Amino acid sequence: MVRTGAIDRRQFLRAAGIGFVAALSPQKLYALERSEAVYASGFRAPDGTYGIATASIRGEVIDRILLPARAHGLAYCPVSGRGVAFARRPGTFAMIFDPAGRQEPVVIHTPEGRHYYGHGHFSPDGRLLYASENDFDGNRGMIGLYDATDGFRRIGEFEAQGIGTHDMTVSDDGRFLVIANGGIETHPDFGRTKLNLDHMQPSLVLLDAKTGSVVQRHTLPDNLSQLSTRHLDIDANGRIWFACQYEGPRQDLPPLAGSFAPGEDLRFLSLPEETTVRLANYVGAIAINRRDRLVGLTSPKGGTAVILNADTGAVLAEETVPDAAGVSAAPDGIAVTSYDGTLAGTRSRLAWDQHLVRLA
Amino acid sequence: MSRWIAALTLALLSATPGLAQDANPSPPPVLTQESARHLMDRVVDGFIRPGYRGFAGKSGELTTAMANLCATPSVETQASARKAFAAAATAWGTIEIVRVGPVLDKNRFERILFYPDRKGTGLRQVQALLAQPDESATSPEGLRDKSVAMQGLGALEFVLYGAGAEVLTGERNSFRCRYGLAVAGSVERVANELVAVWDDPAGVQKDWKNPGPDSATFRTGNEAITEALGILVHAAEAVRDQRIESFYKGESNNTFPKQALFWRSGLTFPMLVANLQGIHGLLDTSGFRDLLNEDQRSVVSSIDFVLKQLVRVGGGVNADVEVAVSDPKERQKLDFLLLNSRDLILRLNDNLGGGLGLGAGFSFADGD
Repeated sequence: MVRTGAIDRRQFLRAAGIGFVAALSPQKLYALERSEAVYASGFRAPDGTYGIATASIRGEVIDRILLPARAHGLAYCPVSGRGVAFARRPGTFAMIFDPAGRQEPVVIHTPEGRHYYGHGHFSPDGRLLYASENDFDGNRGMIGLYDATDGFRRIGEFEAQGIGTHDMTVSDDGRFLVIANGGIETHPDFGRTKLNLDHMQPSLVLLDAKTGSVVQRHTLPDNLSQLSTRHLDIDANGRIWFACQYEGPRQDLPPLAGSFAPGEDLRFLSLPEETTVRLANYVGAIAINRRDRLVGLTSPKGGTAVILNADTGAVLAEETVPDAAGVSAAPDGIAVTSYDGTLAGTRSRLAWDQHLVRLA
Repeated sequence: MSRWIAALTLALLSATPGLAQDANPSPPPVLTQESARHLMDRVVDGFIRPGYRGFAGKSGELTTAMANLCATPSVETQASARKAFAAAATAWGTIEIVRVGPVLDKNRFERILFYPDRKGTGLRQVQALLAQPDESATSPEGLRDKSVAMQGLGALEFVLYGAGAEVLTGERNSFRCRYGLAVAGSVERVANELVAVWDDPAGVQKDWKNPGPDSATFRTGNEAITEALGILVHAAEAVRDQRIESFYKGESNNTFPKQALFWRSGLTFPMLVANLQGIHGLLDTSGFRDLLNEDQRSVVSSIDFVLKQLVRVGGGVNADVEVAVSDPKERQKLDFLLLNSRDLILRLNDNLGGGLGLGAGFSFADGD
């Protein structure tokens, strides 16, 4: 993952062009001019329509693009300045968009027999887009490869070496694809029904980004077989952090996050019991602020956001956030969205969806 | 250190709606632990347990009817077996809407009914078995290790109505009939397992009825209420996705009548109606209405109205799915079902979910 800095306001305005700025309402322009960083997230509007929106550092909505259905995870490419939003599973579209408004959005679709799992990532050089996908008749997770230099043409796929693939990311040097296989079987014929909760197979996998061959594959111990490893981020030291959702007995207190590095075993995080309880055995999103060495976790089910020290794993802060949704590095600290439209002190009319991405 | 504090302060500010761009329309009701317990009592004792008991009873009658058919093959015993099949299938249709809990363990759901089956896997396996009889498939125990698609109501429908079913009225203890009897026995066994699991006072019912730190299922009352709402929303989605759109997606689309559930037996629409009646039953029995603010309670009346209309129209569609998708008058009914099933989903998801405090609707808040 490439380290990104705060967006330059003048750069943004210049790139966006006069037409884009002129189209903004005075209130929006005010928000834009004051923005120090820009986020993007999926949303649901009050009229029931879905889309992706960009927001200022203060959480004010800057711009939006409508989508035919819900988006889920997003990724941003600092090389091209483009973002991508993936359809929520079992959706089959992804939209590549330019938050600066210089280029028309590009919509891509999965091939027959695949659907998106809702996450993906750009290669550090911006030439490739990777997407987590489901080969649903084969019941195997896949990573789709799309050529960002050629209209996002699908040029191949790798096996994700697991089922119920969810989040994926790429190491900073581009050598490894990091994959969270949640272990839960789903099939579009059965909607979002989880088909194998009594025999889940979660795993965390590193693939060689060039060949797709397995570099590392970690399964979970038997007592954690119902711990769905779902979301990922990478810290300043290249450690891979993962966040989990537990499908086992509700009164259990399983580890809900952990980390590992290439060549190392998984290291589960030992959170205080009361923190695990507040997270309701369910972490919906994870994000790392590399500069401040912070890890943010959100739990919509627990209505909680937690900030950890990325070096020690110690809990630095916990906050009650009803319907806590997305989490992202902020210029200072960690930014959190909620389903009721809150971000950075502003409540918008848009219900923010599950994930928040930092643009630049 | 001061920078850390600043960072955390900013982070925590994320949660606080300081500069509201829009006012919250109405405060959601306060859902107490007591109200959750009351609701879950009614969900479990008023709907789920009676539903599984009813299904187990009908599947037992089906086994008996199949045994009679095998021992005394005739047009009459075949008609009785078909009637018992319809009764068991629609009893399942009512409780099928519960797509959570023990029914998802040990592949019970698929063992009872493997559908949708777009590639016809189950059909091919059953046809292959009937073409090359395998005696191990003539007992529920023997079936247990075979494909789940060969163990349930879909397989039995083919036995009773598919090509070659005439053997059932002529040959005593034919392989086809004994296999069908084994399938009925398998379905009955799974149904009885579900009854036993749910009847255990120290088991799943205790966890469902007592959300809290000691429950293996729900830590809070809100979690329990959300799960109960989820049953309704997911059931309505399944009606649209699996029971209508599987063969009819609207006027300008191709139709696939042979993808419809139980098209051979003419039970496609009775199953649809059974699902709707299940949704209606759960909504009424559970007392969701009582959880809503006074001014929101008409939401349930509206849902009630939509459900009644869907049941009325669904019950009047021509049982022959080929006719239903080709006759203009019948297609109008399908269009009505499609449109109103979408409306039902929205009302359950947005209006009932919103009324219970899930501002953006139920599905929006179910994570991933």
